[in-house]
Amino acid sequence: MTFEIDRRNLLQMLGLAAVSGSALSQATFAFAADTDSVTIGWPSDVPSWDPNLRFVPDAQPIFKLVFDQPLDQAPDLKLIGNLITKWELKPDGLSMPFEIRSDVKFHNGDPMTMEDFKYTFVDRVKSGLKLDIANSWRTLTDIEITSPTSGVMKFSAATPTAPQWLAFLGSYLVPKKYIESVGPEEFAKKPVGTGPYKLVDYQMNSRIVLERNDTYFGPKPKIKRVTIDIIKDPSARTAAIQSGQVDLTVNIPVREAERLGKTDGLTAEINPFTRLILLQMRNDKGFADMAVRLAAHHAIDKAALSKAFYGGAAVPLSIPATPGTPGYLPDYKFAYDPELSKKLLKDAGYTAEKPATFTLASTNGQFPSDFDIARALVQMWQKVGLKVELQQIEYSKYFELNRGGQLPEATLYSFDNATGDPEIFSGYLMNPKMPFGAWKGMEIGDKILKLFVEPVYEKRIAGYKDVAKEAVETGANIPILQSVQTLVRKKSLSYVKYGNAWVLANTMSWS
Amino acid sequence: MRMFATIAKLLVKRVLTAIPILLVVSALLFCILRVLPVDPAAMSLPPNATVQEVEAMRKEMGLDRPIYEQYGIWLGKLLQGDIGRSIHFRQDVTSLIGTTLPATVELAVIAMMVATVFGLAGGLFLFYVRGTRAEAVMDFVSILLLSLPEFLWSLFLLLIFGVFFEVLPFTGRLSPGFERPVVTGFLLLDSLITGNISTFFNALEHMILPCLALGIALSPSLMRVLRSSLLDVYQDDYIQQARLRGLSEKRILVRHGLKNAILPTLSLMGVQFGFLFGGTLLVEIIYSYPGMGNLMVDAIRNADLPIIQGAGLTYCIAVLVISIAVDSLYLILNPKLRAR
Repeated sequence: MTFEIDRRNLLQMLGLAAVSGSALSQATFAFAADTDSVTIGWPSDVPSWDPNLRFVPDAQPIFKLVFDQPLDQAPDLKLIGNLITKWELKPDGLSMPFEIRSDVKFHNGDPMTMEDFKYTFVDRVKSGLKLDIANSWRTLTDIEITSPTSGVMKFSAATPTAPQWLAFLGSYLVPKKYIESVGPEEFAKKPVGTGPYKLVDYQMNSRIVLERNDTYFGPKPKIKRVTIDIIKDPSARTAAIQSGQVDLTVNIPVREAERLGKTDGLTAEINPFTRLILLQMRNDKGFADMAVRLAAHHAIDKAALSKAFYGGAAVPLSIPATPGTPGYLPDYKFAYDPELSKKLLKDAGYTAEKPATFTLASTNGQFPSDFDIARALVQMWQKVGLKVELQQIEYSKYFELNRGGQLPEATLYSFDNATGDPEIFSGYLMNPKMPFGAWKGMEIGDKILKLFVEPVYEKRIAGYKDVAKEAVETGANIPILQSVQTLVRKKSLSYVKYGNAWVLANTMSWS
Repeated sequence: MRMFATIAKLLVKRVLTAIPILLVVSALLFCILRVLPVDPAAMSLPPNATVQEVEAMRKEMGLDRPIYEQYGIWLGKLLQGDIGRSIHFRQDVTSLIGTTLPATVELAVIAMMVATVFGLAGGLFLFYVRGTRAEAVMDFVSILLLSLPEFLWSLFLLLIFGVFFEVLPFTGRLSPGFERPVVTGFLLLDSLITGNISTFFNALEHMILPCLALGIALSPSLMRVLRSSLLDVYQDDYIQQARLRGLSEKRILVRHGLKNAILPTLSLMGVQFGFLFGGTLLVEIIYSYPGMGNLMVDAIRNADLPIIQGAGLTYCIAVLVISIAVDSLYLILNPKLRAR
């Protein structure tokens, strides 16, 4: 039998394909409009379903749906109880008694016990598994179980941010009995947590399907089924929300968010959150002279950068902390003053014939508009007489260059801190023993190292405020902007906004 | 029988040649990745790791040893089937590649089919309209198609069929709610094996846009090579003789022209398929397609050297296999080669 394709039956076939494609697609889109389910377009996947394994900030809102953290954060970032109901860091910072809930069950029905706490934070860490939480809990020597619902965390050195870390990266409770019976590899394939949702289907780099945990101890989520489509490309995320293939998405270009916000049925937000955009500074080479560093800072028009690249929503910063966090200084302002920049350079002996020169490194695409900001900085600096060379680097190269002392004088950098605690802002950025900061000057480094073991909260926060101000005024750090998260959603879908950009499906509901 | 013996001989010869090629490629891959200024030790640790911890990790990963020593250890493990463990995912690279490879193979095969259909049809049409005004128009169209890379096609098709007409899905391999059978990892095949027809059609629907984007980007070169080959072939005497024998133009084209002109096109298809296999990265990212390209992008972002090495070797093996397959096909189609 032969089948000849002529123009007529070709057109018939094309028509049939279009109709059936359209019908199939209508079925697809009808699913997204179901009010008992929500489809979220998210920019990155979890690195593994073992939540203790890797620190990936963008994966935290996904982990928080399946697992629980001992402590939680309210939308205004204040620490609140969760699996742990009471906690008190002792004045010496060397121990922390705590109490846990007695009504929590894992998804497989096993009750949560103190043994699970000890296993997650002590035994697993010491077992030799390569877990990132081993680094955040390196001072934790033991959890002494004092009753079925109480225990004491014991530290080898003062650990003032222990409560913050119980609600931060990687600190999720995992089930001892289940992992010991199936092994860590199988646990990562079929994770069991205590969270508001259970994982029902997962395809790496493509889709996560979650179903409501009806035995959840906390507030029951209103939406039964959550589908998270991993859409890494911002244009594809924009297209997905515009076409209705997803109900909510984040981190699309500001301009696209503004455009979509004017579309029927959609609403857009540009939300500042706990991520800094700053310049990591060196204390030598072209930046050995403080006058040059300060001149570089005074020359930056941060409001113009915010307006040009973030629709004016990114808050200009004078201190390496974001508004509303404990280390923020609302009344402190570092002036944008190009004339002062010129004067500082002139007083320091720099002229048009003999200008101050340095190199700025920047990633391209690591965070929105990074390289554009870098180019704008170079232009602002040129206006005051600074001669700057722009160098593009990969994010993965940053640590290698920093370790080898090969970073240039300034590097445009983005730093995330969902807790908002100043140790994880100023402390991490300027601790000379950590791989983040390029600043190796010990006049600031020593102060930071002391604050790392300061157990009195008020003293610690006051110390960080002082050191952050000192760092800015000596040119050891140039904070630029508070980063923003763009979010576009269907108008009928509501969610709870968090100061650290968590977007949690268990807070969502349809109207 | 003689044909099979010739093909078997070729297979043995090519497999033996492939061994040193793989060794050289693996050494090159290893050395290039080791001299890149990235620090896999720092990338494998959390942000709050100290400089001392990074140093300890460098030692543990063997990064402090000479490159030849590191390569020797890696090769020894590779020969035992151990490609290494991912720095970012902390999983065996073999398992990660095994999970993602079928999606890419499926995508590449169907995209190649699309490219073949468009390429051959376009090539025949170009040849058919030779010497007419339509030839200039078609030439312009083929150059236009050729100058647009596949990621632009991806975005263009996504906007047209996904956003404007809203007739095709463009995220992932399946719509939410469809059962995902896992037998071989090849979704189309698995849905047929398990008798899940609705999944089969839904998966196929999800493949339309990425395969079109890849296929359209590849087809213009096939069109142009086929047209040129046909023009060359039609200069040969046997075409004139066929005409003198009274054969119809259609018969001459199918029996004589195309049969001979297809061989250079086939070679190009082999080369393109190799490129296609390693060139799906951006298309997979745009369409959230969970294949090896998507994994490779993650690996590059995280300086995950074991995955990059494993994926590089896999691409190399795929290219060698494709090249052997094309050579075999050449032998089947061209009796002159079998006679040598």
